[in-house]
Amino acid sequence: MQAQATVRLPDGAHPTNYLNKETTIRSWLLTTDHKRIALLYLFTIIFFFIIAAVAAALMRAELLTPKGDLVLSETYNKLFTIHGVLMVWFFLVPSIPTVLGNFLIPMMIGARDLAFPKLNLLSWYILATAGAIVLYSVTAGGVDVGWTFYTPLSTKFSNEHVMVMAFGIFLSGFSSILTGLNFIISIHRMRAPGLTWMRLPLFVWSLYATSLIMVLATPVLATAMLLIVVERLWGVGIFDPSLGGDPVLFQHLFWFYSHPAVYIMILPGFGVVSEIITCFSRKRIFGYRFIAFASMAIAILGFMVWGHHMFVSSQSLYTGMVFSFLSFLIAIPSGIKVFNWTMTLYKGSISFETPMLYVLGFIGLFTVGGLTGLFVAALATDVHLTDTYFVVAHFHYIMVGGMVLAFMGGLHFWWPKMTGRLYPEPMGQLSALTTFIGFNLTFFPQFILGYLGMPRRYHAYPPEFQVWNVLSTAGATILAAGYLMPMIYLPWSLWWGKRAGNNPWSATGLEWQTPSPPPEHNFDQTPLVTEEPYGYPLAATTHNRHTEGRQREMEHA
Amino acid sequence: MSTAAHPVDTHKPPEVNLTKFGMTTFLASEAMLFAGLISAYLILWISQGKNYEPEWLKADKFTWPVLVTGINTCFLLASSGTLYMGEQAVLKGKSITAWLGLTTILGAVFVTVQYFEWRHLYSEHIWFHTGGTYTSSFFTLTGFHGLHVSIGVVFLAITTLMAAAGKFTPHRHDFLTCVSLYWHFVDIVWIGLFTVMYLLPYFIH
Ligand SMILES: [Cu+2]
Repeated sequence: MQAQATVRLPDGAHPTNYLNKETTIRSWLLTTDHKRIALLYLFTIIFFFIIAAVAAALMRAELLTPKGDLVLSETYNKLFTIHGVLMVWFFLVPSIPTVLGNFLIPMMIGARDLAFPKLNLLSWYILATAGAIVLYSVTAGGVDVGWTFYTPLSTKFSNEHVMVMAFGIFLSGFSSILTGLNFIISIHRMRAPGLTWMRLPLFVWSLYATSLIMVLATPVLATAMLLIVVERLWGVGIFDPSLGGDPVLFQHLFWFYSHPAVYIMILPGFGVVSEIITCFSRKRIFGYRFIAFASMAIAILGFMVWGHHMFVSSQSLYTGMVFSFLSFLIAIPSGIKVFNWTMTLYKGSISFETPMLYVLGFIGLFTVGGLTGLFVAALATDVHLTDTYFVVAHFHYIMVGGMVLAFMGGLHFWWPKMTGRLYPEPMGQLSALTTFIGFNLTFFPQFILGYLGMPRRYHAYPPEFQVWNVLSTAGATILAAGYLMPMIYLPWSLWWGKRAGNNPWSATGLEWQTPSPPPEHNFDQTPLVTEEPYGYPLAATTHNRHTEGRQREMEHA
Repeated sequence: MSTAAHPVDTHKPPEVNLTKFGMTTFLASEAMLFAGLISAYLILWISQGKNYEPEWLKADKFTWPVLVTGINTCFLLASSGTLYMGEQAVLKGKSITAWLGLTTILGAVFVTVQYFEWRHLYSEHIWFHTGGTYTSSFFTLTGFHGLHVSIGVVFLAITTLMAAAGKFTPHRHDFLTCVSLYWHFVDIVWIGLFTVMYLLPYFIH
């Protein structure tokens, strides 16, 4: 690779890179460099994450005791609304795509930037504006409808700030759509010579599938939010039964987006896992095509299962059965992925650096989250579990145990590339372990609470549930410590961390062939790709001694 | 991934039809937005049957909108035709200002007639909240589409000015391509809307 010839400096630092080329605030706010935009997104979503996490902490503190003694029930309703809305639309949905995706897609496909750099910056401004609008609605009086905005609560009974928040979410959708659009066009048209579809890193495949959902599902969320605004503004009767409307129609529109949105929130995590697990097993991925096509299968099937959120909402039994069946079907591609990652680990040369610890945590927690999903996808058990803490625990295993751990794993894995610095490895490992333990202690008791019948969204509860709630709150404290550590040592590493060099993990992938941090134009010369990804020393198919022996026997014969 | 240096400069200009691809993808997203609205309308209609149709549909009050909008639809379809002529002309290097100007005028006529239709209904005391879900859906859907047409007219006007200033050549007219993709899309959506919101309810009686 000739590009490296120009950058052979002793500490691996490039004289001018995307970070130090210009340092004014103006140069950051008007940048069209995908790497800088990724960092703008990183700060933005961490900001929203902190607010949403504080809301969660207050809720957990309230739930320490059975009586509602810390906050009023109205305040509690507002807290879980802030938590849900900010975590879903301003942290989880943008997290891996806009930070890691923005930074890595052009580098992984050997391009200078995304297809539409200005549009990329615009997407960030839209998200930031939308977030500001949502925060305004919170400070102006708060919204208490939950992140699901069910009608007629949101259209008739709650205060008018609901409209402002719905508009903020409507707007944030366009950020999502434009990001997805940018990724799709870039992956189609900007790949380096020789980089065929079957040579793409699986991270790119998973973000391609995510982008399709972003472009095709998000507009339906926009429809739902728009109709709420119209209904409140002009008093039309689309959802309001007293004017002839149908409140369940809102649930259809909402979940037509929000189920696929679950895959917006988890597919990028799958991509991160495939990259990290191969690197720290020093092994080629097992069943590349299966993993790539499973992402696409999930993206497509994800559009056909929304009704499983509505088993108890006057949906006919027949419809319920179809949605239940389809939901079981979508477990298959997810299962294929977990199987393939496990097979990649099998006989690999595994080491336990921080990113790998996060990813191993992901696989375990995602599997628990996925399997408990089958409980709520089955009609009979769902009737018992609907709107209980079982559901809360289930989706937190996917969203936090899955996506947040994948995001943290990815952030640690590519941090040296993004900043040129290494974080203190023992601290990283400690944070991964703390997060894993804290997470399980927080959310596992909630499965039991839900099974015992504790409903979600209440600020007070009967005393017999207290034991599990105390355990859960204790776990949340540990989880918070797990989150706080990287927020301290990652910024610390920017100044005092060791220089990372171009490729600290000896990983494959085009992004590792550039200096750390990369120059503004990424590659000095367009790379030419001649091989499949993951060219690690160990082969993907583990040679079975038994078959090898039989082959030898046959050769003898 | 093993790679070799390739004698191609990374600063190559983006491919010509990158913008066209981008616009098409954006319109796919827009299509889902309208699909959401139209299916909401149809689901409400199917689930409510006769109750769905307000009095003003059964009375003669509906004939006026159907007739006027029927003629208006022809203007919109014609505008797609004139725009297509403009697109063909630009490829041959001919002047397209007249075609684009005509398209803008036809689009503006459509919006104006829609405005008068709304005003007419308002004077008959038919408005967003005055009579059942059909009325609500009618104003929401035609209003949302009308907003799209208005945005389109503004962009057509800009395109006309750009054409008059000679900005488009047979090889460089990305902006024109995007605007016309958008305009044809808005037209196609209108054909769907006109069918389900005007023709179907009218002929079912
Ligand atoms: Cu779902």
